[in-house]
Amino acid sequence: MNSPLPTVKKIGDITDVDWSEKRYLIVDDFVGIRQLLRESLRNIGARHIDQASSGGEAMTLLSRTHYDVVLCDYNLGEGKNGQQVLEESRARNLMIPSSVWLTVSAEKSVESVMGAAEHQPDAYIIKPITEGVLLTRLNRVWHKKQIFREIDQAYIEKDYLRAAKLCDEQIAANKIHEIDLLRMKATLYLKAGETEQARAVYERVLEDREYNWARTGLGKIRMANGEYETARQMFHNVMAENRFYIDAYDQLAASLQMMGRHEESCSVLENATRLSPNSVPRQRNLGNTALRIGNIPLAEKAFRKCIAMGEYSIAKTVDPYFGLARVCGQKNDVKEALALLVIARRDFPGDMAELRAKITEGMVYHESGDYRRARKAGDELEEMLKADPARPDTATCMEMATLLFAVGVKDAPVELLCHVIRNNHDNQVLLDDVHKIFEKARMNEEADDLINSSRREASDIMNKGVLLWKTGKLTEAVQWMRQARQRLPDNMRILFNSAQMIITHMQKHGYDEALMTEANGVLMHVDQIAAGQQRFAQLIEQLQQLIPGRGITPVQPEAVELVEVDEEAAIDDDIAALLSEPAPEPPKRRSRFDHDD
Amino acid sequence: MDDQTGSPELFLFLASTVHDMKNSISVLSGTLENLLVQAQPGQEPQGYPQMAHMLYQTRRLNDNLMQLLALYKDLGKPDYPFDPRPVQLGELVQQVADQGRVLLQSKQITLDLEYDPEAIGTFDEDLVIGVLAHAINNAVRYTRDRIRLAITESDGWLEFRVEDNGMGFPPSMLEAGAAVGKGVNFLTNSSGLGLFFSSEVARMHRHRQRNGSIALENGGLLGGGCFILRLP
Repeated sequence: MNSPLPTVKKIGDITDVDWSEKRYLIVDDFVGIRQLLRESLRNIGARHIDQASSGGEAMTLLSRTHYDVVLCDYNLGEGKNGQQVLEESRARNLMIPSSVWLTVSAEKSVESVMGAAEHQPDAYIIKPITEGVLLTRLNRVWHKKQIFREIDQAYIEKDYLRAAKLCDEQIAANKIHEIDLLRMKATLYLKAGETEQARAVYERVLEDREYNWARTGLGKIRMANGEYETARQMFHNVMAENRFYIDAYDQLAASLQMMGRHEESCSVLENATRLSPNSVPRQRNLGNTALRIGNIPLAEKAFRKCIAMGEYSIAKTVDPYFGLARVCGQKNDVKEALALLVIARRDFPGDMAELRAKITEGMVYHESGDYRRARKAGDELEEMLKADPARPDTATCMEMATLLFAVGVKDAPVELLCHVIRNNHDNQVLLDDVHKIFEKARMNEEADDLINSSRREASDIMNKGVLLWKTGKLTEAVQWMRQARQRLPDNMRILFNSAQMIITHMQKHGYDEALMTEANGVLMHVDQIAAGQQRFAQLIEQLQQLIPGRGITPVQPEAVELVEVDEEAAIDDDIAALLSEPAPEPPKRRSRFDHDD
Repeated sequence: MDDQTGSPELFLFLASTVHDMKNSISVLSGTLENLLVQAQPGQEPQGYPQMAHMLYQTRRLNDNLMQLLALYKDLGKPDYPFDPRPVQLGELVQQVADQGRVLLQSKQITLDLEYDPEAIGTFDEDLVIGVLAHAINNAVRYTRDRIRLAITESDGWLEFRVEDNGMGFPPSMLEAGAAVGKGVNFLTNSSGLGLFFSSEVARMHRHRQRNGSIALENGGLLGGGCFILRLP
């Protein structure tokens, strides 16, 4: 018989991928299906095929071998399901970036439309699986991974602006992936703080078709602009159209929180966790929100779920332990609260866990009415602060100061709040919050003096750095800012200026490995404190261009403007006079690596 | 607590049973396909036509199960995980044609394909594959020895036609095709489920105030029955 379907035989011709040399893993609890899939894989030329009949067995195999392709059923009977196996192997880095994960299910899964917020496999396949579908999806994923490889790399390096440019290049060559690339590009612009450019991408996409992610993206931009009510409506509309687009739930909850509508926010998060219970950050968010509105049973459930799931999640953090300890305190179960704090200290060394455990301990005693022990915790906290000059993030510092005042300690919280002001000397909203804490501690009179002198200290330090730089003492300026960072480790302007000066130094005097590492470290620290800033993205792009061999793109006109620190200093009256002077010119061409003066 | 879909126990029970049934059907049709493929051309073993028919029936079972499940999951409503994306027609046709390959071969039916493989359409790939594969299966029942799958694009509409060279659809089928999606009691007809599923899939595809639709007619290029799916 002649084959009546010559076109179908050529399935493998679309791309030049050789699927026969890849390593495959089939995970299904049903032996018949495993045999069938193995047969199909053999038909497309596969030779190395392993099988697992349960999630546990799959994990064992995955930790031994790097598979190129994993075909994993969603429903695996007892034990882990396919999604958990996927999440665990990603969390434990068992998959290499080029490997393909296909989730197999009996019916179209809700997870497939939940959006980027959830862990997604590379593709979903619905049973029964035919070779045509299998090969088509494998080729498609492979092709897509090729297209995104460089973009993903730039993304990992946080060079968002370069990644966005790479998206444009790929769109021109790959029409079929245009929508995915545009989605990525918009995300990159959001990360780079370029909201207007992100908005343009979303609007362009929506002109053609209604996509949940684009609508949600526009909502995020509104939210970033402080238009919380408009944003809330937009997220709400997305949810009305598609009940499973989970990203819209998270965003809706965030917009409600910004408006102080914590009760509503909590119920949105509760619905979201019902739809998709296996996200650690979402459960943690729910726990904190529930704790805030005093819904203790809900908070407890969320934190417990968080801890149970956290075992193999990338998102495993110490936070739910502290949250649950607070819950136990409110339930007057001090014993369990303390037990949780012991675990937190033991399992999360570093991360300021000691300090935070002590704060939580104080709060637990305080809230359960044991003021004597609360005071003791406060004293111990004060000792810890004296012993170690490192300070936790702003929110924790303020939490700690509030507690210390509440239990009657005075010097340590004042010092903490001054630290907060020095590191956020131009953030008026935060300064107001600090003022409120002082007021609550009946320190109204001292508050203004303390705030003003701390602000003054920060701006004096920065101005001296700018002055050195403006007078051409570049090396001294870099050195001064290095010290400034020690005194003001979380001050955004100091950090940005410091990175800026190091970059300019390299632009003038050539690439330097140590300076490169230093600038990168400073910028990563900035990103950790507050992600999504325009200046961060711009500086990272400039920094990446300095790497030898990378400098294809010449320094761009807007980059030239960037090296002026003027506007940074503009908030400080003393330095205003300097503004009229022109900033030193950065090198116009990038051929000066050998130049050393 | 706005969940209205019955008790969670029943749902879990249904879900795991469906999972099981899908596995059984997969193994059934997979095994049959392997047996059919192994037969040497010209010297088919005894029972070959019966096996081909078993495969056809298994496919019908699978289609029905898939359709019921989709309707159970509220196909057509915001609750359904509807997922339109850009798809290359070449890739779509490959997947559809491959699903029917062994069945068509064993019944000695030729599948003509007419489409632009480079063209891109935006639709829910799994649902459209489901609709087209079902239409081809259905045509197996009506055709003499030829089925044609043609995809054309005009005025912003994507038109999928599945035609055969049989005697055409019986009047009752054409009536059901005309009535579906218009509030008429379709389920009294034996082909009602497939038609209803297809029309719901079509309707979910909305673009610029236009909805997709389906139609049944007799004639077409091969002179038999034609199933038509139009997407905006």
